[in-house]
Amino acid sequence: MNPRFPTRFPTPALPERWPNLAPPRLDVRQPARPAPPGWIRKIHWRAAIGALLLAGILHVTATLAVPLVGPGMAYQKLRDLLPANTMVVVPPARPGKQLLPFLMPDAYYGICRYSLASEPVTVSAPLADLGWTLSLHTPQGDNFYVIPGQQLRATDLSLVIVPAAEKSGDLIPAFTRRPAAASEDQIASPSEEGLIIIRAPLKGLAWKGEAEAALARAKCTPGLKP
Amino acid sequence: MRQFGNLIVNLLAIVVLGIGGGLGSAWYMVEAGSRLTTRSFGPWTTWIAAGRPDADPYTRAHTARNGLLPIASTLELSFYAKTDSDGGQLQSACDYAVTVEGLDGAWWDLAAFDRRGGVIPNGADRFTFSSDTAMREPDGRAVIVLARDARPGNWLPVGAGKVTLALTIQDAVLAAAVYAAGPIKPLPTIRKLGCR
Repeated sequence: MNPRFPTRFPTPALPERWPNLAPPRLDVRQPARPAPPGWIRKIHWRAAIGALLLAGILHVTATLAVPLVGPGMAYQKLRDLLPANTMVVVPPARPGKQLLPFLMPDAYYGICRYSLASEPVTVSAPLADLGWTLSLHTPQGDNFYVIPGQQLRATDLSLVIVPAAEKSGDLIPAFTRRPAAASEDQIASPSEEGLIIIRAPLKGLAWKGEAEAALARAKCTPGLKP
Repeated sequence: MRQFGNLIVNLLAIVVLGIGGGLGSAWYMVEAGSRLTTRSFGPWTTWIAAGRPDADPYTRAHTARNGLLPIASTLELSFYAKTDSDGGQLQSACDYAVTVEGLDGAWWDLAAFDRRGGVIPNGADRFTFSSDTAMREPDGRAVIVLARDARPGNWLPVGAGKVTLALTIQDAVLAAAVYAAGPIKPLPTIRKLGCR
């Protein structure tokens, strides 16, 4: 073996145990949270609770007040346009000539503003076809009665609208109980005033005359049926 | 002086957060509704208690504020769409195809309005299609095209600006399913065809 070119190299002796090294210290810094603006830090928790309470009160008050003071209420719009206890036929809506928003455009409407202040109101109305409806609404917009037309079966309805108290025959205020179940042709109205609406959708121009003639028979008159 | 500044900040916070939060949240709940008061099916939204005598205060306020006179949702439902099925705003610069299928047996009416509920002026004086007036495809579907310019078939003209579609469906079974949060028949899809 040539001593100048050893075939075996001396290997360094390994320690019997690895040195007990301490884990490396990683300098991990938490990202700094953005501090709220100074004025927010000045808000006291009592003020925050006060704001929440005020928000809650205003939320409830505004929601309940809208139906009472809302300028867009349908009944308020129609009250000045329609005489009491008279059926008025309104032609299909056209731009600028529309009674209420989102009212079905290609439909005639028979509308009667009823008042039960002095006596009941009798309504007679045809329901010529599917899509036709007769509906009764309180001034708040509640639809307390509706009857739809039937396909290919013309129906002539005759109803008497009476105050709810008159049906029950007692002195319980009308707003504290459900309208009494009426006989087939009597409908108890929960309010003294309201709207009767007959909707007559057109199936096309060819049916216009037929719809007009049918609606011309619709009546809304004070008093009981003869 | 510093205490006076804190007092002012706290009073302002009460007024701004209280009034803004209270009225803003009320406006949102009355105009847009929430899961408590509305149900949405794709682009279509309906107020589930509209017109009912036992309606909640938000639905009552929505009805009154918008001057609506809905028929009770026990008989028929009115759905409103301000977007297409992909979520884009409905606007008259684009053409859309509304495909009505699966509403067999129910009477329905589809009308285009502006955002305030007014009918949209157009030369053809056409504002709506219903189950009685819409032409059907051989497979029974009714495809209604919303566009400014005339289109063959069921063309519903729209003017300038944003559009709201109102779909009225008279079907007591559907109405009951919506009120009970059950499954319902598929409502029409609104597909954008292109824009100018």
